[in-house]
Amino acid sequence: MIKLTGLVKRYPGRAVGANAVDGIDLEVGEGKLTTLLGPSGCGKTTTLRLIAGLERADAGTVEIGGQVVSDPARGIFIGPHRRPIGIVFQSYAIWPHMTVVENVMFPLKVSRPRPRKGEARKRALEALDAVGLADFAERPAPALSGGQQQRVALARALVREPKVLLLDEPLSNLDKGLRGRMRDEIRAVQQRLGITTVFVTHDQDEALAVSDDVVVMNGGHVVERGIPHAIYTYPRDMFTARFLGVSNSLDGVVESVGPEGATVSFGKRSMLCSQCEAIEAGQTVSVFMRPESFKLSRRQHSDEAWPGTIEFSIYHGDCWDYHVRLGDDLLKVRVYREKVGLEHGDLVFLEPDPDSAIVMPAATGMAATPAEVPATT
Amino acid sequence: MALLAQQPTTAPPPGPPAPYRRRWRDRLNPQYITLAIAALAVAYLALVPVGTMLYSSLQSDFLGTTPSTWTLHNYVSTFTAPGIGSLIYNSFVYAAATSIFSTVVGFGLAWLVVRTNTPAKGFARIAALVPLILPGILNTVAWSLLLSPQRGQANLALHALHLPQFNVYSLAGMVFVQSMHVIPVAYLMGTASFTSMDSSLEEAALASGCSPARTFRTITLRIARPAILSAALLMFVQTISTFEVPQLIGVPARHFVFVSRIYSALQQFPADYGTVGVLGIFVLVVACIGLYSSQRLSRGSAVQTITGKGFRARAQDLGAWRWVGFAGFVVFFVVAVALPLLMLLWASFLPTYESPSMDALHHLSLTNYSQVIHRPGIVDAMKNSLITAFSAGLIVTVLSAVVAYLTVKTRIRGRGLLDGLATVPIAVPSVVMGVGILYWYLSAPLPFHLYGTLTILTIAFVTITLPYAMRYLVPGMQQIKDELEEAATASGANWPQAFRRIFIPLLMPSLLSAFVYTMIVAFREISAAIFLYTSDTEVVSVQVYDLYSSGNYPVVAALGVLIVLFLSLLALVVRLISRRFGIKNGS
Ligand SMILES: Nc1ncnc2c1ncn2[C@@H]1O[C@H](COP(=O)(O)OP(=O)(O)OP(=O)(O)O)[C@@H](O)[C@H]1O
Ligand SMILES: [Mg+2]
Repeated sequence: MIKLTGLVKRYPGRAVGANAVDGIDLEVGEGKLTTLLGPSGCGKTTTLRLIAGLERADAGTVEIGGQVVSDPARGIFIGPHRRPIGIVFQSYAIWPHMTVVENVMFPLKVSRPRPRKGEARKRALEALDAVGLADFAERPAPALSGGQQQRVALARALVREPKVLLLDEPLSNLDKGLRGRMRDEIRAVQQRLGITTVFVTHDQDEALAVSDDVVVMNGGHVVERGIPHAIYTYPRDMFTARFLGVSNSLDGVVESVGPEGATVSFGKRSMLCSQCEAIEAGQTVSVFMRPESFKLSRRQHSDEAWPGTIEFSIYHGDCWDYHVRLGDDLLKVRVYREKVGLEHGDLVFLEPDPDSAIVMPAATGMAATPAEVPATT
Repeated sequence: MALLAQQPTTAPPPGPPAPYRRRWRDRLNPQYITLAIAALAVAYLALVPVGTMLYSSLQSDFLGTTPSTWTLHNYVSTFTAPGIGSLIYNSFVYAAATSIFSTVVGFGLAWLVVRTNTPAKGFARIAALVPLILPGILNTVAWSLLLSPQRGQANLALHALHLPQFNVYSLAGMVFVQSMHVIPVAYLMGTASFTSMDSSLEEAALASGCSPARTFRTITLRIARPAILSAALLMFVQTISTFEVPQLIGVPARHFVFVSRIYSALQQFPADYGTVGVLGIFVLVVACIGLYSSQRLSRGSAVQTITGKGFRARAQDLGAWRWVGFAGFVVFFVVAVALPLLMLLWASFLPTYESPSMDALHHLSLTNYSQVIHRPGIVDAMKNSLITAFSAGLIVTVLSAVVAYLTVKTRIRGRGLLDGLATVPIAVPSVVMGVGILYWYLSAPLPFHLYGTLTILTIAFVTITLPYAMRYLVPGMQQIKDELEEAATASGANWPQAFRRIFIPLLMPSLLSAFVYTMIVAFREISAAIFLYTSDTEVVSVQVYDLYSSGNYPVVAALGVLIVLFLSLLALVVRLISRRFGIKNGS
């Protein structure tokens, strides 16, 4: 539905090497919700604006629905007002001089052929109804709360039934409780209408919750893409792993590979990693482990357990975070359902979980090819 | 917060509560005493000229020899006099045309600078600063030299190009010259309004399928509308109440407006004080209505531009059209900056004026400058200007610091009134201010005589510049957090100590900027000074007018160049201070 090829954008006044978007190739499947996920400044908004035509690319093509809408090499540029899009901005951008229904009607009133009298209003009211704002139609737009403005923006973006819906951090201006509700609503509307959607966010929970497809970006590049589950459990890139909260990594050497998995040794310690395709004995690797993937106890239950001491602890209410020192390494371990916390200097034993460890060859930073990760659309 | 500051001096009295005594003690708190003094001073400055003007318009023989009585006769006779209709009509046409023209150009430039990718924005930015250094009187002089029929330099150039000449002595000429002076103000207002406008409002329209041209009309212009109208009203008020253009260009064109009529009524013998009073009150009312509407509109727009996070004023790609915008910048720069300044510079080096040519180059000399230095009148005028501008700057800075402190930093009762009083002078046209002050010191039974002294000029400048200084000091004061004062009082300092030891040092940059800026405004002031000077107390701006009226253009030019240099220096100081300390201000 949307196809980006070799897309490059550099803002004027920026250094030549500092492209905001630096050669992005991306396909967004029909009817799918795809999130662009990445840290601040990685070029998500710029990519979205390039799709919308609010920014002109320096190189590369943008295709929407099979039509090339931007290709600087061939001098093609179709303005945003002639692209089949609807967009929701981070700041909502509700026109303050119009009422709610006038805001939503606006895209219809400027469309060609112009809809029949009364038709525009009827469709605007339907759109408002769909986002639960039918009662607010005649309000002046500024007299709405943040969440309501957000819904108006969504109704306005959807009212002329665009082929593509673009959302730039639509939830970041809402408070926490509302954010979850709006997120689910957006997902519900998107699935009901089956509209192709690009959703920009820097919040991993948000991305995992709403997407069919997650595209992780960094420094103007696409780092990795996949379905939420695959991206979360088996990230294939160090950047993705760290960005998604896999905060522990240990460098080691593969000792042997067997049917159970690979045994990786880190000096005195070693562990079994079951996810180990295309890993060979003798290879140097990094092993990534989530804080919650360890079993932590005061007594040694098995020979595989690693002895360590508590450096410090943080209490979160539903869980404890312990920083455990193992020789030179400091691992972060999260433990749920523990009544009394451990204290600095306590001796503990850590058991790593073979199934959730992620092994990546140290040099490339790319994970061992995980056969079980489904291909993306 | 500041409550703390009010209370430390009142130690809780032992024994049963004594409500009356305590309230009296509160009243004697240094803050209240300061408030009372400041309020009296500001009220005196702000209200006396207006009051006297009103009084004079209701007197049968103000400043006359016969006993005067209350009457409405002046109003009747002024508004039934022949020519009053055309006077009002002329004044409004002149002010309205100037206001529309300068608002359109000013906002157009602002839009190009803030919201588009037009190249060479520096041209427009520099041009916006020019009125600060080129006083209205010099702007007017320069343009009448450039555009006088047949002999004006620009007209000669037009003639050589076989283009029709432009006679500055006409309504169009008045509008043009006054616009050159006020466009930068409109530009600055436009910049503020377009910068605070979220560009995603326009982008949302584009993404809804609305064409760029239609987006500009239905979204951009519509959202900027309150700001545009507000600016237009302000230009209107400023134009209807200043002296230079109506007198220097309007009078030769036989195109009379309120200001020139007031001036001539005072110059004639016997002076027609009643008519002046009525016209003054009329202008005052117009100005008040205009400014009131302007403020209401801009307050409305401030509410409208507030949006969520993620907000950025983005430059729009104009495509090939940006070269049209670029041409606009260049033309504006040449017309508004280069032509008048070069004209003054050129004329200042020639003992008798001639057009630029190889020949004329041989006649260049510094004679005019040596005349400026050796003419006793000019040197005295410079001295007078410096003295009055300096003392006005000093007084206003101190006064507005106290007023700003009381209104921003305390919860004291009556501070709203004080703030209101301090803004009154904005609404009083300088001409009315000048005449009102003149009337008061001529007629009031005071134990001292101020007419014909520099003090009366200083009083006028203080009153006129008070709101400007407030504009620097109120934000400056707001930047200083309350905790700093609380920490001082908690350390045992009383309020005067806290003010002197904590506020004054932190406020120094704002104080300095206010001081220098006030000096600039006072130095180039003429609309009030023209009514208040005597031969002993001429100031530089009046001197320019005098020299110009007597046809001594070369010396005027030389004096003008010196004034521009001096004001540029002061303006540079303000900029350096503001940049160094990161002060923001509205002007
Ligand atoms: N108008 C602009 N002019 C110059 N540089 C810009 C402009 N807009 C963005 N950039 C730069 O381009 C890079 C990418 O910006 P972009 O807004 O796409 O990031 P983002 O991923 O959306 O970040 P965030 O999560 O903070 O919104 C950043 O380094 C940013 O500073
Ligand atoms: Mg962004």
